[in-house]
Amino acid sequence: MTDVTLTVNGQTRSASVPPETTLLVLLREHLNLTGAKLGCDVGDCGACTVIVDGMAVNSCLMLAGQANGRNVTTIEGLATRDRLHPVQKAFEDTGALQCGFCGPGAIMASKALLDDNPNPSVKEIRDALSGSLCRCTGYTKMIDAVQEAASVLRNEATKQLTDART
Amino acid sequence: MKAFGYVAAKDVTDAVALLAEHGAGAKVLAGGTDLLADLKFAPHHPDIIVDISRLDDLKDIEVADDGLHIGALVTHSEIMRSPVIRDMFPALVEAAYTIGAVQTRNLGTLGGNLVTCVPSMDSGPTLIALEAEVVIAGPGGERRIQLGELFAGPRKTSLKTGELLTDIIIPKANLHKPAAFEKFGLRKGQALALVNAAAAFFVDNGNFKAPRIALGAVAPIVIRAPKAEVYLEGRKITEDAMAEAGRIAATEAEPISDFRASADYRRDLIAVLVKRCLANSHARATTKAKELVL
Repeated sequence: MTDVTLTVNGQTRSASVPPETTLLVLLREHLNLTGAKLGCDVGDCGACTVIVDGMAVNSCLMLAGQANGRNVTTIEGLATRDRLHPVQKAFEDTGALQCGFCGPGAIMASKALLDDNPNPSVKEIRDALSGSLCRCTGYTKMIDAVQEAASVLRNEATKQLTDART
Repeated sequence: MKAFGYVAAKDVTDAVALLAEHGAGAKVLAGGTDLLADLKFAPHHPDIIVDISRLDDLKDIEVADDGLHIGALVTHSEIMRSPVIRDMFPALVEAAYTIGAVQTRNLGTLGGNLVTCVPSMDSGPTLIALEAEVVIAGPGGERRIQLGELFAGPRKTSLKTGELLTDIIIPKANLHKPAAFEKFGLRKGQALALVNAAAAFFVDNGNFKAPRIALGAVAPIVIRAPKAEVYLEGRKITEDAMAEAGRIAATEAEPISDFRASADYRRDLIAVLVKRCLANSHARATTKAKELVL
């Protein structure tokens, strides 16, 4: 067995799992965080995307042991009791999702992009979403959603700066 | 996945000892993007996975006396962000950008891409065109070989039991050598190359100097196109010469026909991509603007 201790959505979590356990299986079956989805299981579809140490990764292609000591954010870590995260809200407002299966992955890929690049071009957004396959409805509204979320997040950041100064 | 053992190596020496101990039953885990995808479908499972993903010594990008060193565990995303690589070898950035999607590039490593030895690897052609060398750690110490000597066949390296690829070096003589990479796949995102290619040359009084051309996905391993190189050496740099070099390079490959493309189509692609690589390298050599547009 492999002992794993990692930070998930701000909380320290530990588990002892068989070595062949992926981070995705650790999250879903051992930590009961079923937001990240098992799609293709070979790193093509992006439904399992989570953020590890600030980077979007396919959790189906990472062993739990590799995630030991790392900082993991899943879709469950975005919303608070009071409100959806701006990226989630933008996906909802623009109708970017239909069945929603790709949603957690696409939203985490979008969040990783915006954490790194607050004002991405459409090309940069398309690149960030190219590893998240949607089979229902397409990508145009997702791109709109990311632009909308980017704008909301930039305004929030500006407001925080202004508030801090006054 | 079927059950296997797992051990995180403490350092390169430890990793080499573990690989030597377990022999063919051991598999190295670097980024894992190829290994885990393979293991999910593999009929045979390894006895043990040796995880080297935390060996920080293998994550450096630095210019030393003998050239540019890129650690085997440098990820494709790190190559894209590296100021040194963006400045010296935008072709490596172009190649890294075509690998998988961002999720793959964040985990996948340069060394891992090379040791897969798949003929369509996107990291191969640029490094072959730049005459890269690789450092291999083993039970008897280190050895340094030409990158081309690492490639033994499709999915087959020349690494011996207990050996680990640790470092990739672009020799000093080729630092800042103008180079370009081109790939043609069936989609822009996450597609395997039908053909990929790279070219590098110096400009000497308007003539090609030390031209190097490398082709991927058109032979059992990534290959050079020596006849095209000889044709260009010392020749005046013109569009016609670039096009002729492309046509010659196409005769030097042995592409296969499969469900992605026919051999004839791949040969036509070689001619086009080599010409584009030569033109892009020339543009890089002659303009001050190094802005990289992906």
